[in-house]
Amino acid sequence: MKLESAQADTPLLLDRARRGDQAAFAALIRMHQSSVFSIGLRMLNRRDAAEDLAQDVFLQLYRKLDSIESIEHLGFWLRRVAANLAIDWLRRAAYTRGTPLEEGAEIPAPQADDDPLMDRELLRLLGELAPAARAVMVLRYQEDRDVAEIATALDMPVNTVKSHIKRSLTAMRGKMIGAQLITAEELP
Amino acid sequence: MKDIEESLRRAMRPVEPPQGFAERVMRALPERTAPANVVPLSIVRKTPAVAAWRRFSVPAALAASLLIAVFTGQHVATLQAEREEQAGLAASRELMQALRVTSQKLDLAYEAVQRPAPAPPAEEENRS
Repeated sequence: MKLESAQADTPLLLDRARRGDQAAFAALIRMHQSSVFSIGLRMLNRRDAAEDLAQDVFLQLYRKLDSIESIEHLGFWLRRVAANLAIDWLRRAAYTRGTPLEEGAEIPAPQADDDPLMDRELLRLLGELAPAARAVMVLRYQEDRDVAEIATALDMPVNTVKSHIKRSLTAMRGKMIGAQLITAEELP
Repeated sequence: MKDIEESLRRAMRPVEPPQGFAERVMRALPERTAPANVVPLSIVRKTPAVAAWRRFSVPAALAASLLIAVFTGQHVATLQAEREEQAGLAASRELMQALRVTSQKLDLAYEAVQRPAPAPPAEEENRS
């Protein structure tokens, strides 16, 4: 099944998956696997851990399919479970920082305006953030979610989300300037 | 001007998981949610007779206990009444017997009182 046509029929897919249609559930996985896997990758900094996490999230989804009300709810549910599971794993120290990323594996395919050095440094700085702050940044800049949704997904006040974003950006800017990857004049 | 937020968005573009990820998840599904492990509700569900018995067994036991207690109480009370009646009859018989004996004693005493006293001896008459 092509991804584009599957997305158009997502409500139908969800309905079929709820009724036990394995092919429909596989299509739902393919539609959301990139988002869920990337949340795990940015949070845990390891591809094997990210794959484990994504698999765990989809297995949980399979058991909770009856509680998913809509396509929008499905996306929200997957982001919420993936982010919170990653925070749990980080807090249990099973996937602590410091493990180097596989060379080139975590960086998306280069585009015209890419700056691989900058990207790598940003991802390294992201990995230095505390788990909750990292989850906020991943949902904000990878998943492009607004602060209200991030607050709901991570079960934290909106002002805390805003505070995490502001402090994380300030810290990252400071370190980027220190590494001379950007200059003070480039700050917005 | 280079915006760090835009740089972040670019650096954090979603990436695809390794090839065959969805297939691996699908293979893992039956292990955790195997239908064979699911016991049909029809088997688990109790038959109507069993369900009715489980539902009413406790009240029925209580009612039976209450009936047994009532009948036992009645029987004990009847035995007690019979015992008391027998005791009463015995007491009555004893009383009648006692009254009879008393009456006889009184009769004897009365007869003794009514009997004329014996005449005094002659010597005594001369002395006075």
